[in-house]
Amino acid sequence: MADGSGDFRQCSPFQTDFSTNERSQSAYTPLHTFDLPRGADKHYQQQYADMYFLRLAQLKPAVEEQAEEAWGSMKIGSDTPQHVDRVLDVRQGIPSWVVGTVFVDMPLKPNVLDDISKDHWISAPPTRERYTTDGKLDMMIEDESGRLKIIGDGLDTLGLVTGCVIAILGHENIDGVFNVIDTKYADLPRQPERWEKDEASLALSGGKVKQKRPRADRVAIISGLEISGDSGNDLALVMLTEYLIGESSHPSRPDGSKKISRLIVAGGSLAHSSPIPSREEVVAKKGHKKYGYDSAAYDASPTARLDTFLSDILPTLPVTLLPGVTDPASVAIPQQPLHAALFPQSRALANSPALKNDPHLGFDSVSNPWEGDIDGWRFLGTGGQTVTDVQKYLDVDSTLDIMDAMLRWRCIAPTAPDTLWCYPFQEDDPLLVKECPHVYFAGNMPKFDFRTETGPLEQTVTLISVPKYSETGIIVFLDMETLEVTHIELGVGNPKP
Amino acid sequence: MPPKRRTSAGPRAPAQSTLAFHGTINKVTKPTTGPRSAKSHLKVDDILNASTKPEASDISEIEPDAPTIIQQTVAEIPAPVKPAAQLNAEREARKVSEARIKKYWAAKEKGRLAPRVHQEELGLHEKVLREWDMCAAYGPAIGNSRLKRWNRANRLNLHPPIEVLAVLLMEQDDNNAGAQRAYVDELMNSRFGDEA
Repeated sequence: MADGSGDFRQCSPFQTDFSTNERSQSAYTPLHTFDLPRGADKHYQQQYADMYFLRLAQLKPAVEEQAEEAWGSMKIGSDTPQHVDRVLDVRQGIPSWVVGTVFVDMPLKPNVLDDISKDHWISAPPTRERYTTDGKLDMMIEDESGRLKIIGDGLDTLGLVTGCVIAILGHENIDGVFNVIDTKYADLPRQPERWEKDEASLALSGGKVKQKRPRADRVAIISGLEISGDSGNDLALVMLTEYLIGESSHPSRPDGSKKISRLIVAGGSLAHSSPIPSREEVVAKKGHKKYGYDSAAYDASPTARLDTFLSDILPTLPVTLLPGVTDPASVAIPQQPLHAALFPQSRALANSPALKNDPHLGFDSVSNPWEGDIDGWRFLGTGGQTVTDVQKYLDVDSTLDIMDAMLRWRCIAPTAPDTLWCYPFQEDDPLLVKECPHVYFAGNMPKFDFRTETGPLEQTVTLISVPKYSETGIIVFLDMETLEVTHIELGVGNPKP
Repeated sequence: MPPKRRTSAGPRAPAQSTLAFHGTINKVTKPTTGPRSAKSHLKVDDILNASTKPEASDISEIEPDAPTIIQQTVAEIPAPVKPAAQLNAEREARKVSEARIKKYWAAKEKGRLAPRVHQEELGLHEKVLREWDMCAAYGPAIGNSRLKRWNRANRLNLHPPIEVLAVLLMEQDDNNAGAQRAYVDELMNSRFGDEA
């Protein structure tokens, strides 16, 4: 056809050379910190007291160290505050300091008695957005010996939630209430160097440790795709696909999507996919019994649309998929990876379960929260429900402050298991931060924001709060060499002049 | 004309048997067991009791005895490698003698002002283990087997007494599975009210 004769077999091959865009490889090592054992090894017979015990036992040494450093040589009046081992061992009038877990008793917290009240009254009180009630809260310090009520001038502004382990300095007054002067938390743990894990495994296997690493590109993070299967809402998703594949950037301007080496989807991919029916709905549905699956209720189009979206970008761009609050993964954190059965097309590009520890080149469905190494940097990410749960306790609007506090408390879900459903860990609590990450991101946040925090041992963490793509159209980029955060916004509208 | 086919003499016998939708030949469903006899009731209760014992079967790390189907599949999966700290602790504990355990217990008794009551019929091992359950510093005793609790406390550097591990290993060697479950656990989870 090129010479116009119409004979297909006589065409010469295309003369023009089409420039191909290439992506660099992203060095990727997921850590399976939050993967729960399968089948018979997953027990639910234990109670949550084990979790609180693990949290206190593992964080106590670090908090004691910080408190000793700060208060060991200080003088209140004429005496030095003494360190008390158990919370109930404080004596009246003697200044002392003790380490324990905070418990905040708020009257508006969800209470199992509300469920019972549904039997007697018409309906339960509605779920609250915030549990705060203008200062009417009781704060207590707890450990295995008992609970101690604490009061203090600065306590409300400190922003403490149930489950954070702190040291308190003060004395017990006549009423038996502990008057707090100062508090100390564990602060950021030790941060690994870049490439530390890879170099350690190379050293063990005998390879050359100091390797020349190619220049790493950017990682894109999005969250809150909120795919509901309606074909009317598809424009945003199509634009995202085009951008990530590289179709929206002109070859003469070779910037933008060419330089993305990995996409992280931080939760919220499906909208309303697993609604838990309330008790009234269950009672109403008891009438008709359907054998097999209820075809009227089940709709495969949201997962099919998500699968198509992923399989469009997967051949060239590796994807890490975290589940979120609205996704069909478990309700309790740590949410287990979305099952491969949901992605019939995309799972062809994923590692088989037998090879889950090998380097991943394609689709990786991971747990929420998730920890892993990308290009040598340690990443820690959540789908957002841990942060929003802490926000209910405090009157703080900035989610970055909350994320910073969680890292400094060394616990990424302090309110679990109190108000956030959680698996009852018994041997080891993976929700504690043992090694400080370089990047900590949370998806489904109300707005986009980022910040760099530093720690006492010169750790630097980049905190990123990723907004919902379906609401804002923002894609966050993280440069893997400099850890610099940029973003673009995809939308329909008049271009700015 | 095609050759004439030979037919059997007499009226043509039907080539197919008549279809029937009943009878044992056409039974599609799997054979079910008959109505539950008294014997099978006991079996169900046994299974229920076994499942309420948390991790009581985990302690026989050495080899599973009398493997049922479930235990066989568990045994096929290679047993997890014990960490070095645990192996060290077990080695230490095997060196502990009965006399040392008696001395440990005597030291504990001397620390009290009054003698313990309601423990006259218990042996030394059982007394040591119940004291171990009650120490809150090593974590909750309910929902966990005593050996696992000891290993967890050791891992968290809480320095649990080595004599307790010695007693636990001695009980394990005697195949006393009841010693692995905390007595408080049995009391709290007993199904049938007062008789624990």
